[in-house]
Amino acid sequence: MIEINGLTFKYPTQAMPVLQNVHLAVEPGTLTLVTGPSGSGKSTLLRCLNGLVPHFSGGEISGTISVYGKDPVSAGPAEMSDLVSFVFQEPEAQFVYDIVEDEIAFALENRGMPREVMAARVDEVCGHLNLTSLRKRPITEISGGEMQRVAIASALATQPKVLILDEPTSQLDPAGAAELLQYVVALKQQLGLTVLIAEHRLDRLLPFADQLIFLPDGGQVLQGVPRAILPKMTQVPPIVRVGKQLGLDPLALSVEEFPAIHVDSVQNEDQPDGPPDEQSLLKIQSLNANLAGQVILDELDLSLARGQVTVLIGPNGAGKTTLLRAIMGLTSSEGERRLDGYDMDTLTLSEVISRVAYLPQNPADLLFADSVEEELRLTLSNHNRQFDSDLIHQHLARFGLADKAARYPRDLSVGERQRTALAAITVQNPDIILLDEPTRGLDYANKRALAAILNDWRRQDKAILVTTQDVEFAAQLADRVILLDAGRVQFQGAPAPAFTQFPAFRTQTAQLFPNTGWYLPRDVRVDRISNV
Amino acid sequence: MTVSATWVAWLVASLILLLSTRNPIYLFVIIILLFILGARQARRKGRHGWVHQNLRFTGTMLILSALINTLFTHTGQTELFVLPDEWLLIGGPFTLESLLYGAVNGLVISALYLLFDVFNLSLSIKQITRLIPHAFRPLTVMTTVSLTFFPAIQERTRHIREAQMIRGNPMEKISDWLPILAPLLVGSLEDALLLSESMTARGFHARNDQPDNRLVLVGLILVVFAAFSGWLLRLFAYPTWISILLYSLGAVVLVVVLATAGKAQHVTSLHQDDWRRQDELAFTLLMAAGLGLIVTLVTKLDAGFSYTPFPRLDLPEVTLIGLCLSLIPGIPLLFKHHD
Amino acid sequence: MRFKFQGLIVNIIVFTLGILSLLAPFMLPQARNSDFSNASFPIIVSLIIILCVLLTLFEIQSAGLDNKMVAFLGVLIALNAGLRFLENAIPGPAGLSPTFFLIIIVGYSFGGRMGFLMGAMTMFVSGLITGGVGPWLPGQMITAGWVGQSAGLLHASLKGSRWQGKPAEIVVLAIFGGFWGLLYGAIMNLWFWPFLAGASGQTWLQNASLAENIGRYSAYYVATSLIWDVTRAVGNILIISLMSRAVLKIFTRFDRRFSFQVNQEQTQ
Repeated sequence: MIEINGLTFKYPTQAMPVLQNVHLAVEPGTLTLVTGPSGSGKSTLLRCLNGLVPHFSGGEISGTISVYGKDPVSAGPAEMSDLVSFVFQEPEAQFVYDIVEDEIAFALENRGMPREVMAARVDEVCGHLNLTSLRKRPITEISGGEMQRVAIASALATQPKVLILDEPTSQLDPAGAAELLQYVVALKQQLGLTVLIAEHRLDRLLPFADQLIFLPDGGQVLQGVPRAILPKMTQVPPIVRVGKQLGLDPLALSVEEFPAIHVDSVQNEDQPDGPPDEQSLLKIQSLNANLAGQVILDELDLSLARGQVTVLIGPNGAGKTTLLRAIMGLTSSEGERRLDGYDMDTLTLSEVISRVAYLPQNPADLLFADSVEEELRLTLSNHNRQFDSDLIHQHLARFGLADKAARYPRDLSVGERQRTALAAITVQNPDIILLDEPTRGLDYANKRALAAILNDWRRQDKAILVTTQDVEFAAQLADRVILLDAGRVQFQGAPAPAFTQFPAFRTQTAQLFPNTGWYLPRDVRVDRISNV
Repeated sequence: MTVSATWVAWLVASLILLLSTRNPIYLFVIIILLFILGARQARRKGRHGWVHQNLRFTGTMLILSALINTLFTHTGQTELFVLPDEWLLIGGPFTLESLLYGAVNGLVISALYLLFDVFNLSLSIKQITRLIPHAFRPLTVMTTVSLTFFPAIQERTRHIREAQMIRGNPMEKISDWLPILAPLLVGSLEDALLLSESMTARGFHARNDQPDNRLVLVGLILVVFAAFSGWLLRLFAYPTWISILLYSLGAVVLVVVLATAGKAQHVTSLHQDDWRRQDELAFTLLMAAGLGLIVTLVTKLDAGFSYTPFPRLDLPEVTLIGLCLSLIPGIPLLFKHHD
Repeated sequence: MRFKFQGLIVNIIVFTLGILSLLAPFMLPQARNSDFSNASFPIIVSLIIILCVLLTLFEIQSAGLDNKMVAFLGVLIALNAGLRFLENAIPGPAGLSPTFFLIIIVGYSFGGRMGFLMGAMTMFVSGLITGGVGPWLPGQMITAGWVGQSAGLLHASLKGSRWQGKPAEIVVLAIFGGFWGLLYGAIMNLWFWPFLAGASGQTWLQNASLAENIGRYSAYYVATSLIWDVTRAVGNILIISLMSRAVLKIFTRFDRRFSFQVNQEQTQ
């Protein structure tokens, strides 16, 4: 039993409390989903339950917290670790050891547990999380999803009663995320754990959540069964939006729960399959790339046209990043790359980057200056362009950073940092913009801001290529879609068939209304539906 | 022979041997044995070119050492040639004895280097890390963290470098390091914050407010003093037994103090070396050989260990005992190395 | 306060004994033990030094280490050890490495204890990674440790002065880095010297005076390592002048997140 009463907490560096007078209760053996926009205090709230807040963070705390009768504020994180285990957002950054089983044993070593008992415990949790075959593997050789499983195993080795996961899937691909959450749900049943998960994406967990806690950006915290809370939230998964549109009561939380619906005659308007090739600004033909003897890109054709957003979707390891790097000439490849008719093999890197901007997966890699404005100025000077203060401010305004020009980029939020990086790579006004996984780790609000930027660029007649694993985001934006699998183009063309016909890439709306060609909540035509 | 303890025993026994002999014949035997052993261990680790690389090193050391000694030391009877005395430091007769003395020095240095190189080849980084006493648990964890993050940081550095290049940074001047170093630092520090949370949440606490800490510190100070004064007394030719007494006293205090402080840390380790019959045998053999060596040294048995070309050139003498003891570094060759 | 006194005692002992052991080659002429063979000499010096290092490390560990510092230094050490291998990836003359730069800045920002840890443990981890664990390691550890520790002292002595936060601060740091670039090499050579030049006992015993020995050492130093050390010194000066402002800023920002006051006012 977890009870929180009148909890208020303020970080030492902030003026306003991030949590204000929060009251919560969590029953043992339940799964609680904690959601809310970035910066609303989800992580802080969860960290209050094992004493990391305030013992680790500093700050001022008031109110009472009771976790199975223990007060984390007076007990501290070390003592709470017997009761509460914690899994963090970044899979790579939470490991002490570089071998799976060593990492799992870390918490047990800290307790001075006898070796035989420790070995037995490690066996047991490895069994629960299906890690037995990975025990001796180096952490660097396993996937992100497997890393998070190791983190869970490591957290569960001490046999705690509560398992807390702080956005455990934000860095994972959809398949890895779905698999990880399955493990969590199964563990809850098997071990009778009390589970609390913070997540941006609700769709996968809603069917399993006993309780939903919504922390809005300021305002009252909502708590209750998902069906009671969802109607009060603005950002909800497509299935809930469609359910609301149709006035379903009770709301369906999974595709299986969704009532059978008959849709009257839908004519599939055939959309034109992109522009003719002559107009394309960037043209790639039969591109091949190998890495360490493995074929990464296989006879790949691609063209980007002005004023179009092309979305590149595919699972991890499909070759998306390699494709972008090959286009930029950062990795060796064979085939023809033409930029506005010029053979890119004959262009220098600086000639390429003056026309093609590339946002790598981790935008923080780009930022090092003292202020946002300075970042832009540095890019201009790298391109030997004149510094023009007005131009820079106009440019920043487009990214919603007008008031952030003087800020230290590293102090900004994740979304703002990403937009700073975007501003910094596009200030020289390139024609083509390539973005690698820009949606990773973003909440709804930041994804919306990103979509607005992409739309703005489309209006400016730029050619845009975005890789993403977020099918819903892709569906909202795409003019053209390329489905990539194992280095091969599976499909290239208009969005509708891409998001309705390929099981792995079907949007939630497409799953609800098969054979209609609808793939976004906005496509759903209530007037065509007869038997609700 | 895989167990850390056997390799440590090997290292210590071989080190004592190396430090007590200046007989070039023995040194040759030792170096050849180390080369054979090193070649085997390097092959196991896939380190090609190890033999070649170290042959070159040994050769260079030999020549360099001989040359430097000849340049600076001008005693000896067999003069090779003479430089004018006015030449600062290097002026004077160049003698064959100095040359030989320097060459023997080179042999000792090469053997020492080889010895530790083979040791590094034979134990994994993990095994070496596990040799750090439990008393230094926070530092062991720090080391482990470094080793775990090392490849990730290498990888991140490559990413950042690429990111800066496609932003138009030409990467030509030293000041172009900053665009790499700054994001690297900030990213790493953010990782460090998360990591320390993750360690804290799993019951690790570096701060140890043990009441015994003071005692441990005093003990360690005593150990340092014991080692230092034992050495100093020996340097100024006081009776050897005083030094030996001080050394042993220091060793005992060190063991007691580290054991106490280690116990206070309340940690255990998942891993334990897997002792096979071979390891037990190897360990016993090494201990016996080491003991034999020490007895030989203490009783001043004539093993032909000491050799000097001064004041006049002689052939080094070889005894059966000395030759047998020179084989100590080769003991691991008798055993297989399991993984 | 209690820890301050404890640290002072330990540091005085370690510094005195460490320096005496390293300078011992100069005392050899006065020593009377002629059969003290020259290979065991540096090995025993190494033993004494490693004991000194252990003593200092234990003092630091018992006085002021917490989880954040363990993670922080662990990651920084990985970074620093990594930078040693990246010399090809980053432009600049050979032998130029930012290793000392980070040790100095850590000591300067986080105090002498953290500086010592950063220096000593950087050398240790580099040794592990490169397979360079050997008798040379203690000397490297203690000297690099002193680099960081003295940077902490430098900060303490500049504290409150009008130089702080001014360009003069960077100049002082750069000079400090250049000085250590030379001194580090000199100290490490001191350890290795008896192997090579400490040669035939009788020369030392009968002929050489202290002054002559220093002369010999200088010649040996100039011949074997002056070029490298000058490169290192110039490299340190360059890197510190170009980058310390930005890196100090990063550290100051993180310092707030790493070390805060725990104000848990609890109203029950």
